[in-house]
Amino acid sequence: MTGKYFGQPVQRLEDKFLLTGNAKFIDDIELPGMLHAAFYRSDYAHARILKIDVSEARKHPGVIAVYTAEDFGDYWKPGPLQVPPPTAIPGSKFNARTLVPIAKDKIRFSGEPLAVVIAESRYIAEDAFDDIIVDVEPLPAVVDLEKAWEDTSVLVHDDLPSNMAALVTQEVGNYEEAKKKADFVISKRMLVEHVAAAAMENRGLVVNWDDRNQEMTVWATTQSPLTIRGAIARSLGLAESQVHVINPYIGGGFGPKVMSSQADDVLLPWIAKQLKRPIKWIEDRRENFLATTSERDQVHHSEIAFMKDGTVIGVKDVFYHNTGAYDSYGMTVPLNTQTHTISNYRIPNFFTQIRMVFTNTMVVTPVRGAGRSEGVFTMERMMDFAAKKLGMDPAEFRKKNLLTPEEMPYKTGIIGQDFVSNVLDSGDYLGNMNKCLEMVDYEKFRKEIQPKARKEGKRLGIGVVAFTEGTAVGPYEGCKITVSTNGKVTMSTGYSTQGQGHFTVYAQIVADALNVKVEDVKVITGDTGHFAWGAGTFASRGATLVSTATYLASQKVRAKIFATASKALDVPEDQVDLCEGYVCVKGKPETRIMLGELASKANPMRGVVEPGVEPGLEATAYYGPPHGATGCGACAIILNIDPETYKPKIERFVIVHDCGTVINPLLLEGQIQGGVSMGIGNSFYEKMVYDENGQMLTASFMDYLMPQATDMPDKIEMGHGHEKSPLNPLGIKGVGEAGALPPGPAFAQALEDAFNDIPLEILESNLNPSIVYEYVKKARNS
Amino acid sequence: MKVEGEHLFKAPREVVYEMFNDPTALGAAVPGLQKMTKIDASHYEATLGIRVGPVSANFSGTLSLTDEVPPEKVTLIVEGKGGAGFVKGVGYVNFEDLGDKTTMMRYVGEANIGGTLASVGQRMIDSVSKSIFKTAFEKLDKILEERWQQK
Amino acid sequence: MSQTFPISVTVNGKVYDREVEPRLLLSDFLRHDLGLMGTHVGCEHGICGACTVIFDNEPVRSCLIFAVQANGHEIRTVESLGTPEHLHPLQQSFTDKHALQCGFCTPGFLMTLVPFLEEHPNPSRSEIREAIDGNICRCTGYEKIVEAVEDAAAKLSQKK
Repeated sequence: MTGKYFGQPVQRLEDKFLLTGNAKFIDDIELPGMLHAAFYRSDYAHARILKIDVSEARKHPGVIAVYTAEDFGDYWKPGPLQVPPPTAIPGSKFNARTLVPIAKDKIRFSGEPLAVVIAESRYIAEDAFDDIIVDVEPLPAVVDLEKAWEDTSVLVHDDLPSNMAALVTQEVGNYEEAKKKADFVISKRMLVEHVAAAAMENRGLVVNWDDRNQEMTVWATTQSPLTIRGAIARSLGLAESQVHVINPYIGGGFGPKVMSSQADDVLLPWIAKQLKRPIKWIEDRRENFLATTSERDQVHHSEIAFMKDGTVIGVKDVFYHNTGAYDSYGMTVPLNTQTHTISNYRIPNFFTQIRMVFTNTMVVTPVRGAGRSEGVFTMERMMDFAAKKLGMDPAEFRKKNLLTPEEMPYKTGIIGQDFVSNVLDSGDYLGNMNKCLEMVDYEKFRKEIQPKARKEGKRLGIGVVAFTEGTAVGPYEGCKITVSTNGKVTMSTGYSTQGQGHFTVYAQIVADALNVKVEDVKVITGDTGHFAWGAGTFASRGATLVSTATYLASQKVRAKIFATASKALDVPEDQVDLCEGYVCVKGKPETRIMLGELASKANPMRGVVEPGVEPGLEATAYYGPPHGATGCGACAIILNIDPETYKPKIERFVIVHDCGTVINPLLLEGQIQGGVSMGIGNSFYEKMVYDENGQMLTASFMDYLMPQATDMPDKIEMGHGHEKSPLNPLGIKGVGEAGALPPGPAFAQALEDAFNDIPLEILESNLNPSIVYEYVKKARNS
Repeated sequence: MKVEGEHLFKAPREVVYEMFNDPTALGAAVPGLQKMTKIDASHYEATLGIRVGPVSANFSGTLSLTDEVPPEKVTLIVEGKGGAGFVKGVGYVNFEDLGDKTTMMRYVGEANIGGTLASVGQRMIDSVSKSIFKTAFEKLDKILEERWQQK
Repeated sequence: MSQTFPISVTVNGKVYDREVEPRLLLSDFLRHDLGLMGTHVGCEHGICGACTVIFDNEPVRSCLIFAVQANGHEIRTVESLGTPEHLHPLQQSFTDKHALQCGFCTPGFLMTLVPFLEEHPNPSRSEIREAIDGNICRCTGYEKIVEAVEDAAAKLSQKK
């Protein structure tokens, strides 16, 4: 698709509001008579609740009400599964234990809500916490994943025989047979550790129940307003049309804001109906760490079987996955790990097993990368160990095994998060790798730069990895496009925005199709009052699914414009064309009608209409893919590690990425850079730590460290592949999470390379100077 | 969190042990200890106010003495709860008579800390607890000096 | 129980006389008492920088200051820089270079950078990075913010 806007670095339409403090975020919403909610949360990670006495808290001046689980009666129940169980995978075992809105009888993670205080202000609500008396019987906590799997003496869910949340095995070919034929087999145990999404804006919710009209309005920082709307309607016995969920501007999502049926969206609407006053809840940072979902935290026992010429013939990966205290989000994260392990490579034998465990930690749901990072880390590390065994260059070793475009569509045989077998649709993996090596001056680094640095006592190393990113999974998204009588155009979709530039990107597509100015297209996302169908923002689906639906709907509107104009101007349809903001006629420059006027004509208030004609210059379209579209790329890091302090400096960072057709190259760069900063954070700085009693030790930015401006490489050098996806008419693939995937393993490889005179072996992500020091010490002593 | 250390008291063992059994002495020595009441020979109730970095907290709880072999050793069990979290600890304390009217007190124990204190003050708990011990010992040394001088 | 104190604070050139509790944070005062919602609260413990405002010419964390401490002082928030119709040159550079995505941290960056650029009209990239080290951005990775500051510095020095 070409046009004035598509493929161009169009500046964002939403910026001027965000820059000047004119964009309304959740905490900016103030309603008359509004009350404030605060959640009193458990300090204990695992305990039996004996008594929660809120009687004194209820008497606190300024407190309107205090609720515990008992006060909700039958309304209290475990929430719905957010994602269906993996019944599509033969032999899978899944124990559904979904998140409860507030703890009843038992506490399963530190931070779990025990009481809700509603007061005139948040300050007063928190004052009332001091009046709440909680009597518990502390229980030992289970936190270690392998222990949780083996040990049945401490159970997170007493009605289950163990802490097994799920066991899912998938196999392609026969690994054990392949292993017998292999020249070499290497086994390793590796860790990818817990991280937070840590969006700059915490979660929040404002709910208003209009008792006279029996209508509920909810403003929420959710990535899926439609999921929340459906859940609230169902729990309160309302029709969906009585519940209106609206996204304000949202300060970053990155995954956790798609989780729903939590304390806030379950309890506050019920309370609002009782109290008949609007209620606001804004999460604070500590709550976000403790009680908003997070991710990673896997232990991998991996094996790679390969031949002496570098051909990898089999991979086995048995991994423990932490789902936290409840498994509402099903298998999405670990299934992504399974589909992203061997996804770059031609490996005919692959055995992968998820051992998902319950622990006394907060629930795990996707964080940018969503399980893919763990698969990429594991595989790329195994490739490195195998290459080292053969004395082969790690890039050359990869090139030997990378899939080629000729082999696509490549059926991987592994079922993914959308419950269909993953098919790699497009991508020139070898091309990406070669471009990456060229951009980073790989040969020159190896032959000149590194030896020179080593002589100067500097520890310089390079890491090069390949990755794929499954994106754009179903079920579907849709949109409605309407031309207004003022000649401007509105596009509304059920999709949700947290900073991705949707207000501009989709406007570009509409503007080109209808030949209007991009600033005359208003995009509305995340408002169930405007568009009420769709699944929500996750898995990098927007660029593909919503763009395609937008494209299809705009073509329909175009056709309607031509049909309506043809009648209005009394010319044949094929003579009609769209000029900028008006309909023109080929060969008759004086004959025209403004789009706005045509829109009026398309909506008669009197008279009769022809059968089959629908009013307005409006159309709706939906798009659902047969399976996801897979983005791909390669990444190289040149690391300079201080040999005394182990502080890293990224000298060069190169990423080559292929997302097929690019809608807005400026926004694309932003997405990649943002993902990369998270990937770098996950490699070296960020780690969420729970102690053995389930106490989180890193619940503030003082302890949870994220990359600052001086931690980032000065320039992220970007290259692009352009293999269009055959799955959708525009050839688009997603890119939102891509940057977060490769830095971890590239970092580890570069670190080992910087110390390649000792047998340094990095077996975990989420490093820091002390951890690196221990690894180096161990290598030096061996 | 592991807690361990030792302190040399310049007094005979019986005097030191007696001081440790005196809630007024402990009450004066431990910084932040607001109230300490003896329930019976081996149980005390106490309230403690401390500051760990950004978190200031009041804890109320119990101190129990078990496995007492006066004046040689005692096991202390501490359980405290407050708005900022909870503490549960066990300490094994022993007193060695060094023969020259001085006593070496040694202690080793485990403290489990939870809640806000653990989640935002974690990296300071170590240094804060060391500082509490240091201040307490300095005060106890002074109290001991007065008592021993009296004798 | 909750005693209030009278304060007089100048915000964006306008004097506000109010009665506040001593424990009311400056960030909450600006946002909810004065309705200036541009200043955002990201962590309430002084690390993320989203709440940065200018306090008598110095950028400060409004989440770590009580409203009573602002009594008699001058505060400038992001609302003082520009409007959607007339952006401050720094704001214009931010949009030109795509230096914001979700925009939540952006006002904090702007209020850190405005005094910085006044003192360092010709900063190097590493000086810019050091200046914004106290502001966390989770969306952009900082690179385009640095480019925006370079762009604004060039524009602003041309004006002189």
